[in-house]
Parts: sequence; C-alpha cells; structure tokens
Amino acid sequence: MAETITVAEPLLVLLVAALGTYALRAAFLVTAQDRPPGPLARLLPHVGPAVLAAITLPALIAPRGAVTVVDTVPALLAASVAALVWRRTRSLPLALFAGLGLSVLAHAVLG
Amino acid sequence: MSAPANPAVAAQLRRGARDTVAVIVAYLPFGMAVGAALAHADVPPLVAWASSPLLFGGAGQLLAVQLLGAGAGAVVTVSAVLVVNARFLLYGAALAPHVADWPRRTRWAAAHLLADPVYALVAARFAGPAGSGPPRERRAYYAGVGVTLWVVWSLVTGLGMLLAGALPAGLRLDDAAPLTFLLLLLPMLGTRAAVVAAASGGLAAAAVLALPLGLDVLVGAAAGVAAGALAARSGAAGGPRG
Repeated sequence: MAETITVAEPLLVLLVAALGTYALRAAFLVTAQDRPPGPLARLLPHVGPAVLAAITLPALIAPRGAVTVVDTVPALLAASVAALVWRRTRSLPLALFAGLGLSVLAHAVLG
Repeated sequence: MSAPANPAVAAQLRRGARDTVAVIVAYLPFGMAVGAALAHADVPPLVAWASSPLLFGGAGQLLAVQLLGAGAGAVVTVSAVLVVNARFLLYGAALAPHVADWPRRTRWAAAHLLADPVYALVAARFAGPAGSGPPRERRAYYAGVGVTLWVVWSLVTGLGMLLAGALPAGLRLDDAAPLTFLLLLLPMLGTRAAVVAAASGGLAAAAVLALPLGLDVLVGAAAGVAAGALAARSGAAGGPRG
C-alpha cells in the first residue's frame, strides 16, 4: 500500500513537526526576561559562536558527509580565502564571492 | 508586526531586508537543491513544498519529507525533526535578552522566523553598537530579515521543485552555505572567550560528524558554550590574557 500516499496524512505529520519546531523557537523568546537567571546569562553569549562554528566546520571538512580530497580541499581553500577577504574588506558579499570563485576553480582543477 | 510609523523604523526594516541579499545569493544553490530533493521524495509535491513555510529550515524539511516518503511512522518523523531543530531552542535563549522589551504577541510572531541565517544576522546586529536601539527599531530589523528570508526560502525551494529535472547534474555549489555561516561567525569573534567557544564547538562537532540527525551540531554547541563560559570565567578571574 506504499504507493497510495494521501495528502492528509503526511501533511498532518508535517504540521505536528512544525508545531514542535515552533515550540522550540518560542520557548525562550516568548518567556524572555530582561535579565535571564545568572547561570544561563553566563552561557548565552557563547551560543552564537559555538553553534555557528558547529554548523560550519563539519560542513567544510566533509561537505558530503565524508572527508575526501576532491570535496574537503576546495571547501577549506574557499573558507581561507573568504576569511582573508573578509578581514581586509569587512564585506560579506565580496568575501563570499571570492570564496565561491576559488571553490569552483578548485573543483574544476581537482575534477 | 505592525507597519512602521516613523522613518527610523522604516529604515531598519529596509536595512534588515538589504542585509539578507548576500545570504540569499549564498542560499540560492542550497535552496534549489533542497527543492529538487523535495521533488524527488515520495510525498505529494504540495505537501513537500509546504514544509518550507511551515518548518522554515532545510535540514529539518529534508529529513521530514524523506522519512515520510520512506514510510516512517509519525512519531519517528516528528522526533527526528525535533532533534535536528533543537538548536532553535538555543537561538531563542541567546536572543531572549534582546527581545524582552517587545510586546508578547510580537515575540510569538518572531519565533516562527527564527532560522539559522535569521539568527546569525540578527544576533550580530543586536550584539553590535547599533543593536542597542529602541525596541521598535530592533523589531523592524528582525522583521526585515525574517520575513524576507521566509518568503524567499519558500519561493526558491518551490522553484527548485519545479526545475528539479532541469538542474544540471554538475552544479557544485555545496560550499555556499557553510561559507555564509563562516562569514556570519567571523564578526562574532571579538573576544578570547568567543574564539574559544567557536574553536571548541567546531572541533567537537567535526569529531563526531558521523552522528546522525544533526546531533554533531548539538554536541559541538554544548562543548563550545561550556568552553566559552570557562574561558570567560578564567579571563574574569585574571587569566593570562583576560
């Protein structure tokens, strides 16, 4: 019966997943206070750097889930160039395009 | 979120929308790829696309639609999506002090827009010197970023679904999204504790990248936050480079 997938059933599951996701997003935002409790307040400033780095580094080291020369080297080269251009110019678009340009070039060279 | 009534609020709204341009350019290939993957999943196309406005986050959407297409049960699918999206809890906690003076109904609306790039842009803005503006201007900036990215994400993934069969197989722009995150991260590295948090978070996540369901990000986040807090404490206690 796997071929008779209805619209209502997966849509309902999706709605429940969306409601749960919304609850995660809203939990602290909606109950926000000017001064969060002391221990929490000490942790919060580090969330941004920690989460963004945790998303970025694995994606650069293993763009397709595994470390390989053809995937990892272009990504790391692109990241180095993007960071360098950002340091010099403080321009996000410029740094992004410089990094992407190098990534495309490195992919072309490495096949 | 009500319409802006004064020029400063309107300017923040425009500024927010403008700040998303680079992120949108970077997300185009990722959004198209997500759209193409949604189109190929064994789920009715309209349901697959509805994941964009409803879930507003590529990783959770792909997981939900692929699990549904593979015949996974409702409990498994919902649980998997919630694990992948658990980072949104951290984003909300980190932004909470900046939105505490907003009306509660605005915060209810803002919550739905809290995706990765929205958090990164808004957190960078609110943490900077310009981020301490009046509540209405901060709300306008948040709305400019969030609504723009929500609309564009829904459109781009829809376009990716429509063009799924026509996209060139050799289109390789996998690096665009992580490069964007890297460039959103760099301005946050203004203190030694922030550098420690980022280095620890990144390395810990990379060390466990084989974990499923985006758990590598959660492990990295926990390690990074703990390391950053320790570094800040040792700095405050008179560490070598405080």
